Amino acid sequence: MAAGLWTRRRLSWISLAAILVSLFSLLPLAFIIWIAVQTGWESVSALVFRPRVGELLANTLLLVVLAVPICIVLSVALAWLTERSSLPGARLWAWLSVAPLAIPAFVHSYAWITLVPGLHGLWAGVLVSVVAYFPFLYLPVAAALRRLDPALEDAAAAVGLGPWRVFRRVVLPQLRLAICGGSLLVGLHLLAEYGLYVFIRFDTFTTAIVDQFQSTFNGPAANMLAAVLVTCCFVLLGIEVLVRGEERYARVGSGAARQQQRTRLGRATIPCLLLPVVTALLALGVPFVTISRWLVAGGADVWRLDEIGLALGQTLFLALAGALLATIAAMPMAWISIRAPGPLQRLLEGCNYIVGSLPGVVVALALVTITVRIALPLYQTLFTILVAYALMFLPRALISLRASIAQAPVELERAAASLGRSPLKALWSTTIRLSAPGAAAGMALVALGIMNELTATQMLAPNGTRTLAMAFWAHSGEIDYASAAPYALIMVAMSLPLTWLLYVQSKRMAGR
Amino acid sequence: MKIALSALAGATALAISLVAGPAMAQDGGIVVYNAQHESLTNAWVEGFTKETGINVTVRHGGDSDFSNQIVAEGAASPADVFLTENSPAMVLVESAGLFAPVDADTLAQIPKEYQPASGKWVGIAARSTVFAYNKTKLTTEQLPKSLLELADPSWKGRWAASPSGADFQAIVSALLQLKGEASTADWLKAMKENFTAYKGNSTVMKAVNAGEIEGGVIYHYYYYGDQAKTGENSKNIGLHYFKNQDPGAFVSVSGGGVLASSKHQKEARAFLKWVTGKGGQDVLKTGNSFEYAVGKGADSNPALVPLADLQAPKVDATTLNSKKVTDLMTAAGLL
Amino acid sequence: MSFLELTDVHKHYGPVAALAGVDLSVASGSRTAIVGPSGCGKTTLLRLIAGFEAPDQGRIVLDGEVLANGGAAVPAYRRGIGVVAQDGALFPHLSIAANIGFGMRHHEDRRTERIVELAYIVGLDKAILKRRPHELSGGQQQRVALARAMAMKPRLMLLDEPFSALDTGLRASMRKAVAELLETAGITTILVTHDQAEALSFASKVAVMRDGKFSQVGTPRELYLKPKDRMVAEFLGDAIILPAKIADGFANSPLGRIAVDSTERRDVARIMLRPEQVLLKRTSREGMSGTPDMLFGEVTESEFAGSMCTIAVRLLNSPDPPDAAAIGNTPLILRKPGMDTPMVGEIVRLTVSGKAHVFA
Repeated sequence: MAAGLWTRRRLSWISLAAILVSLFSLLPLAFIIWIAVQTGWESVSALVFRPRVGELLANTLLLVVLAVPICIVLSVALAWLTERSSLPGARLWAWLSVAPLAIPAFVHSYAWITLVPGLHGLWAGVLVSVVAYFPFLYLPVAAALRRLDPALEDAAAAVGLGPWRVFRRVVLPQLRLAICGGSLLVGLHLLAEYGLYVFIRFDTFTTAIVDQFQSTFNGPAANMLAAVLVTCCFVLLGIEVLVRGEERYARVGSGAARQQQRTRLGRATIPCLLLPVVTALLALGVPFVTISRWLVAGGADVWRLDEIGLALGQTLFLALAGALLATIAAMPMAWISIRAPGPLQRLLEGCNYIVGSLPGVVVALALVTITVRIALPLYQTLFTILVAYALMFLPRALISLRASIAQAPVELERAAASLGRSPLKALWSTTIRLSAPGAAAGMALVALGIMNELTATQMLAPNGTRTLAMAFWAHSGEIDYASAAPYALIMVAMSLPLTWLLYVQSKRMAGR
Repeated sequence: MKIALSALAGATALAISLVAGPAMAQDGGIVVYNAQHESLTNAWVEGFTKETGINVTVRHGGDSDFSNQIVAEGAASPADVFLTENSPAMVLVESAGLFAPVDADTLAQIPKEYQPASGKWVGIAARSTVFAYNKTKLTTEQLPKSLLELADPSWKGRWAASPSGADFQAIVSALLQLKGEASTADWLKAMKENFTAYKGNSTVMKAVNAGEIEGGVIYHYYYYGDQAKTGENSKNIGLHYFKNQDPGAFVSVSGGGVLASSKHQKEARAFLKWVTGKGGQDVLKTGNSFEYAVGKGADSNPALVPLADLQAPKVDATTLNSKKVTDLMTAAGLL
Repeated sequence: MSFLELTDVHKHYGPVAALAGVDLSVASGSRTAIVGPSGCGKTTLLRLIAGFEAPDQGRIVLDGEVLANGGAAVPAYRRGIGVVAQDGALFPHLSIAANIGFGMRHHEDRRTERIVELAYIVGLDKAILKRRPHELSGGQQQRVALARAMAMKPRLMLLDEPFSALDTGLRASMRKAVAELLETAGITTILVTHDQAEALSFASKVAVMRDGKFSQVGTPRELYLKPKDRMVAEFLGDAIILPAKIADGFANSPLGRIAVDSTERRDVARIMLRPEQVLLKRTSREGMSGTPDMLFGEVTESEFAGSMCTIAVRLLNSPDPPDAAAIGNTPLILRKPGMDTPMVGEIVRLTVSGKAHVFA
């Protein structure tokens, strides 16, 4: 009886926490709407329906429309080669297809602009975007390919479909979920990215918002651009939901899937090898060559250890604190989504994902407005920047946590209780212990995001803060590319282990 | 080892500020919102702290975001001192009534032409508009005689600028004061057609140097700064001063002011006095900022074209209207 | 006239030989079962016939057409061989109708009608055509897989343990239904299974496989009653294997003098009896006396399992066993109808019906 009461109270307490987190996460969105209402329709339409917005919209749309399909084709081809063909060194190429994630997007751009100084405009944007972001598609597609049941392909071949038609009619449809999810992720990053496009002089909504912010602070023009950008994000989310549909792709039937066979490439091996080699050269070779070049050119002078050490320390601290906060904030939600799923939980989770899909510049702009107008003592405090990180990266923490809690079945907790543990101790000795590795992985992913975050950090960080990304940006802004190189190197070096974790995690999730 | 210690120090400082709140971090000294070049302000802060023992926390940013930010923060602003690159940002804060009057002995260190009549802020340095051009692409005869000429269709696709920067916006504000709203709006519209946008004046110069574009409207010191280093990004650059009181010969005054809301008035005033005094102005002469010194009797770097020779137009710094400028530029589709 | 002919087929996976020289001849319209323990190579053989993999060595000829010869092989999609996999391998992203029509051309005449017709043939209700595979039961999924394979009018149908995922009751009825259906359609069929009862009841010809080779190929009756060796005998069912001295069509064994299926043999060999050949009759210790030709035993264990009961019988007066140690202490294990089985401690008289099989 007492235990029952306790359980009920705990659940409602957790739900309450989840609701609070979700409401909190809706604040940025609410404020954009509030500003729009305050600005008045006339001003809003004057600020939104103007040629410049049309230009930005065209730029942004073209970027997404061109870069995402190229990413899809590249990722599917690479995933197939590394997972399903006899490509020599497939494991190496698989890892090299994930590794570009360790390089912040703006460092990719910095590398390219060093190599080809005149690089600019739409096609440059497409090139660097693809190189920087295709791993977001490669990861889920490769994992999905690994999970596919080879019996389906055999079955299709047996009824008379040639290899290409098997790929088109059986393999590709089953990759749909992975492609949709990955494309959404890439698309949202394209909308949110700032530094990458500044280097190559390609204006998107995000760069325009930052321009407006720098010229007029949180004026209505910046907020209205943000509103249009948010609309773009929603359109992307909507398209993804439509395309994904209500499909189910799980394996039908019981028993373990047979080991997949790798297709022999034979004489096509050399041309097929070209794809991962060229991709690795563009996505990894270019950054490494240029960073090295600047490091050599800069010599010992650019290693201003005080400055670098301070930035490193601050970055690490922000990354860890932000990751901790995001993970704690995600816990109630992850808990109820596994232990008490229902319509409320789906609604709340939806809120969190929507906010997670908002560009950092929008979240930051909203938090600036909120703190300046309502909660000035919180303005430019560590608290606010950490909240911004938590809002931006909550979905990353949520996904990892949810998966790990799902691996700790409630029966274990009950078994512990039946063996005489008090409920709290039972929780501690089973679920929390079992989900700890997943939570740690989630934290690492959030930390990775924070380490390479630029726009929100610049707008919200407390006085005197200078992260690696900020320092890199300040130096490269004064075209002191040599001084920026150590920061680029450190960011990459710190991200590499986390990227490796991501790679390993995706392999494990696919059951290998 | 050293890097690890610094890292630890950085992390600890942030951790303390989290626990103790933002006020703690400032307690040792003053907070400067700095829109000036980092290296210049860092040199000023270093000299000042060495002389007075007062600690300074610097937040780096741009003219416009800081001025707007200070207005938004109002009386609760954590800033004690505001330093800019251009005057319009100072005007914005002044018109919001947020500056404390500058001490008379500080004002006395700077000639009248580099301070507003109100005495609410004071000039700390100056920079001149130039047309930086690629010497292999343009001869001196082909150079524009006036900034206004760049609106001519013959200049389509041939010049660059950084419209999102406060520097260029200050130039536009001078144009606005000298030629009026209608001509400025027209000029901006033509500019949108003709020019190529870059982010940052350094980037403009780099592009001109590389021959990506023939010329660009920037400030003079980017060239000298690069020459003093490797010259890698300026070896093909020639500087063209418009002179003749042309809007393009505009000399922009960088300002400094103490905020009325500052809880450290004494220290803040001491800082501003130091920057405008001999120590601060000497940094301009000897350092590698290459901005003009404005202090009475202070010399600028001898490499520069003397300030007196620039034939700058007479612009009243106190009426430079940054809000109107960004509105006009937004309307022209430049922002 | 053989329809499918396999000659000396080899297949290696690294150092492991999955198939070590397989020969098989399948008649047109017949049903063949390949049975063997897991890992014996039977699925590999099926995959080679289907064309999912190529043999390292050997020939596969179907209806006069060489499908594989050494390393060269016709790919699966050009073979026209239907395959029904263990769990159906239905496409999860397609409806049932689309699954069945998967191999048909999109503009084929009467496509929809044919799908409905096939569904009817395999015993599926028309209503489920719009559903998704995961909404179906295991038996239904297998029927869909069968319909899908039949839609392409295959020359040969390969069934890879298609009934193993089903419940026991459903398995038997499905097996019967599928056998009849393929018979009616006149499709030559090869079934791969590890279930000997399934193999014996399904096929007209059974091949027992072990370690990548066929141990024995023949009709179900032949294999059951005249297995080539002890392994085949025991794989296909319970067997009582006894040492015996053979002469003139009879064997002198621990169970007495038993007729054997060979009249020429005259030597010491092992003979095999199926337990159902041993008949029991209740008697008592008193009934044993004065009947020297008769064989008696005592029930030492009994395990009741509903319809059947397994009992252990220890021989009490085994005559002249040539290898007494082998049998004297080992009771015979017999499975008898659960009704009226002798209880532990009861004395029974044993008789053998039919002939014993002499191993080579």
